[in-house]
Amino acid sequence: MMDGPRVETGRAFELVRQRIITLALAPGSAVNDQRLATELELPLAPVQEALKLLAHEHLVRIHPRYGAYVADVNASDLGQLSELRVELEGLAAALAARRATRDDLEVLDAIGQEQISADDPDPRRLFDRDHRFHVAVAAAARNDYLAQSLERFFGQSLRLWYLVLPQLDFLAGAVHKHVDLTGAIRAGDAEAAEEIMREHVRDFYGQVRALLGARDDTGPPRSDRRGKGSGDR
Amino acid sequence: MIPPPVSTDASPDGDRPAALVLGIDTGGTYTDGVLMEYETRRVLATCKRLTTRRDFSIGIANVIDGIQIEDPSAIRMVSISTTLATNAIAERKGRRVALLLIGYDPELVATFRLARRFATPEFHFFEGGHDLYGRERADLDLPGILATVDRIKDRVDAIAVSGYFSPLNPDHENRACRAITGVCDLPVVLGHQLSTRLDSVQRATTAALNASLLAVLHDFIIAARRAMERRGISAPLMVVRGDGTLMTDEFAARTPVETIHSGPAASAIGGRVLSGLDDALVVDVGGTTTDLAMVRDGQVAVEADGATVGDYRTSVQAARLLSIALGGDSHITSAREGGIAVGPERVLPLAQLAADHPEVGRRLKALTRRQPAQSTQDRLDHWYLMREPQAGLISTARDMALVDLLRRGPQPVADILKRLDVLHIGQLGAADLLRQEVIGRAGLTLTDVMHVEGSFDAWDREAAAAALETFARGCRRGPDEVRALIWRRVTELAVYAIVTFLSGKRLPPPGTLDADTDTDMGPWFFRNSLEHSHPLLDTSVRLRHPIIGIGAAAGLVLAPVAAALGAELILPEHFEVANALGAVAGTVMVTEEILVYPRLDATGIEVLGYIAQAGDGRCEFGELAHALAHARNLSRERALGGALRSGADNPQVVVEESADGLELWRVSAKAMGKPRLAR
Repeated sequence: MMDGPRVETGRAFELVRQRIITLALAPGSAVNDQRLATELELPLAPVQEALKLLAHEHLVRIHPRYGAYVADVNASDLGQLSELRVELEGLAAALAARRATRDDLEVLDAIGQEQISADDPDPRRLFDRDHRFHVAVAAAARNDYLAQSLERFFGQSLRLWYLVLPQLDFLAGAVHKHVDLTGAIRAGDAEAAEEIMREHVRDFYGQVRALLGARDDTGPPRSDRRGKGSGDR
Repeated sequence: MIPPPVSTDASPDGDRPAALVLGIDTGGTYTDGVLMEYETRRVLATCKRLTTRRDFSIGIANVIDGIQIEDPSAIRMVSISTTLATNAIAERKGRRVALLLIGYDPELVATFRLARRFATPEFHFFEGGHDLYGRERADLDLPGILATVDRIKDRVDAIAVSGYFSPLNPDHENRACRAITGVCDLPVVLGHQLSTRLDSVQRATTAALNASLLAVLHDFIIAARRAMERRGISAPLMVVRGDGTLMTDEFAARTPVETIHSGPAASAIGGRVLSGLDDALVVDVGGTTTDLAMVRDGQVAVEADGATVGDYRTSVQAARLLSIALGGDSHITSAREGGIAVGPERVLPLAQLAADHPEVGRRLKALTRRQPAQSTQDRLDHWYLMREPQAGLISTARDMALVDLLRRGPQPVADILKRLDVLHIGQLGAADLLRQEVIGRAGLTLTDVMHVEGSFDAWDREAAAAALETFARGCRRGPDEVRALIWRRVTELAVYAIVTFLSGKRLPPPGTLDADTDTDMGPWFFRNSLEHSHPLLDTSVRLRHPIIGIGAAAGLVLAPVAAALGAELILPEHFEVANALGAVAGTVMVTEEILVYPRLDATGIEVLGYIAQAGDGRCEFGELAHALAHARNLSRERALGGALRSGADNPQVVVEESADGLELWRVSAKAMGKPRLAR
C-alpha cells in the first residue's frame, strides 16, 4: 500500500492523545475504537492506527485478548519514568547550555516572559507553557534523538499533571526554576543547568508520588478507581 | 437534469479484473461521480447529486453511495476535483491567518497599496530578509516576531511567514518557523515551501491563502475518507491540482492552495479524454457559469503568471481559465433601448418553480391575458422561500413580514412590493436572506426558452411559454422574435468571451457602446464579424481549433458560437461527467526547482562561488558548471522521489534549465506518471 491515510491518522493521533492526556479518557479505561471514531468523526482505520502509535508512547496498552486500554498510572511506572526523565532532561539542559543558539534563547525568554506575566487562572494554559519550556530546552540541546525520546515521555508527564492538578501547587515555583535555568543556559554553565533541571524534575515527581500515595497496580487494568477526570465510562 | 446511471456490463478480459477508478467533481451546483475502467477509459457508471454547499462532504458521500457497483472494494483509486478552495477564498470562508513579513518594506507596501493583495488584514512587518545574492540584509528580529505571535496567537488559526528573497535563502523563514512552533501550536506555512518565484507579494499572498485553507482541506479530505470507508473503499485518494495534475491527499492537505481552479482544469482534461483531441477549446456550459479553458498538446494551458482567484494573485500553477456569468439559469431581463440582457444573475427557471408550485403556472398564464403595460418584469420575477431561516437571521420586522408572506408560496415581486408597502426591491433590505439562501429568486431563463423550444422538458413547459410570451409583450415584440434576440445575445456574449480570452486583448463588452457612432475599429470589427452588416467590408474571426462542448445546454448554446467562429463543435458522449472523468484521468506530477546563483564577497564585486539552493538544502561550488550539474542531478532525484511518494507509477523526468535574469539560473525537474493504483 502506498501513502496510507496519514492525514486522518495524524488527526486521530492528536485527538486521542489529547483525550488521554487530559484524562477525558481515564487511565485504565477500555477504549472502544468504533465509538471513538464516531465521536471524533473519523474513519475507523486511522483511529486504530493512532491507538497503535499511542501504544508506542505507552499511553495505550493493546492487550491481545481484552483489546485496547488507556495505560494506567502506577507507582512502579512513576518511579521508572522519573529515573529516566531526571537523566534525560538533565542531559538536555547540559547540552542546551553548551549549544543553545541566540534563537533558542529568544524562544526560552519568550516562554519565560509569558509565564511570568501570565495572570491566567486556566490551569491548562499553565501546563501548556510549562510543557513548552521543557520542549524548548530539549530542542536547544540540538540532539534530535534526545528530543524525540523526551517527546515520548512528555505525554506521560502531561497526564500526571492533569491527574494531580487540583492538589498541586508546583507550577508557580517552577517558573522561577525556569528563569534560573534559562540564565544558566545563557551563561553556558552546563553543570548548573543540569543540576537545576534534575532538581526541578525530581521535585515534580516527588510531589506526584506523595499525592498518589503508594499504589501497586500491575497487569491489564480492569477498573478505574481513581475517579479523577472521569472519562467516557 | 439528473441522467439515469449509465450501466454498461463490465466484462474484464481474462482472469484479471479490470482496474476500476472513481472520479468525483464537486461543482457549484452538482457533485458528479464517474466509475471508469482505467486502462480502456470506458465509463461504467455515472452519478449526479446536488452539491451541498454548507458541507461538501455530504454531496460527495451521496455520490459515492449512488455509484452503481457491486463490489466497491474493487475500486483502486479515488480522485477528487473541488471548487472548495476557490469558493472559500471568494466567499472569505478561509480561516483567520496572521501573515508575518520578514524584510518587506512597509513604505513600499503602503505606497503601492499592496496590502489588499495579502489576503488577510492581519499582517506584520519585521526586520530581516535577504538580497538578490542570498545575503542577509538585516538581522532577523526574532524577539519582535515572538512578541507579536504571543499577542495574536489566540485570534488566528494559522500563521504564514514570507521572507524577502526567501527562495534564494530560506534561513530567516526557517528560523522564524522553529521559534514560532516553540511557543505555540498553530500551523506555520512558509513562503519558500510554496513557490520559487521571486515575487515577494505573490509569495506572501500564496502563503497566507495556503494557511487559511489548511483546516478547510483537512476537513474535506477526512470527510471524503469517511465516505469511502463507509462503502468499503480502501484505495489511494488523489486530489486534482489547478493545472489538472494529481497529488496525494496528504500532499493536498499541506498545500491546499494548489487546488485553486482544480474543477475547471479537471473539466478541460475530461473534455480532452472524451473527445480524444489534443488541441481544442473546452467550453463547459453550466447552470450558473460558462467556463473556458484551452487544451494544447494534450495538456491544459496554464496561466504563466500564476493563478488569480478572487482579488488575489498567487504563484500557484493553474489552468488559464475564463469563467463568465452565463449559463442555463442566467436571468433574462430587458435592457435599455429595447435590448435584452442575459445574466449575470442566476435565478431559478420559472418552469422549474411552476413544476413545484402549480399556482405559479396559473398566475403566469393569467398574465398573458393582460395589457402589454402590465407585462412588467416584476410580475414575472418571483421570490420564494428556500428554507426556514434559522434563529438570529431575521433582524427586522420587514424581514419577518417578507418570510411570512413567502411561507404562503412563491410571490411575484410586484405583489411583494405592494404587500410590504415599498417602492423598490432595494428597500426590502433582504440581501442577507438572499445570500444565506433562505429566499430564492426565480425568473425567465435560457432553460425556460429551451422548454418552449422543446429541447428540454424536465419541468412545466406551459409555464415557460406563458413567461416568454409575457416577457415578449413587455418588450413590445413577438415571442419568436424575442427568442431569436435572446440567442443572439447569448452567442454574442460567448463569442466575446472566447475572443478576448484567447487573444488576451481588451474589447468593450458588447452592448456598452453604440457601434455606429464609435470610431474605434475593435468594437466595429467584432460586431461586423457577428452580424456581417457592413455593405462593403466583411470581417470574421476564425478559431483554428475545434470547440469541445461540455454540459447539458452545450449543444444549443455553442452551435451558433462555433458557426460564428468557423469552428467545429464536438459534443462528446458522457459530457455530463466530463469533470469527474478529468479528475481521474490526470497524471501525477511533481516539480522540483533548484536556484543557482553566485555568492559574492563583501564588496559585491568578486564571485566567491556558486550556491545551489534546493528547498532547504544548500550546496556551494567553485564553478558555475559544477553547481548546475549538481542542480540537474539533485532536481531529477528529488522530483523522481517526490513523484514516487505521490503515487506515480514509473514516472518520467524532464529537466529544464533557464537563466532567470543576469545571475540566477533555474533548474527545474518535472516528474510525471500515471497514478499507481492500489494492489
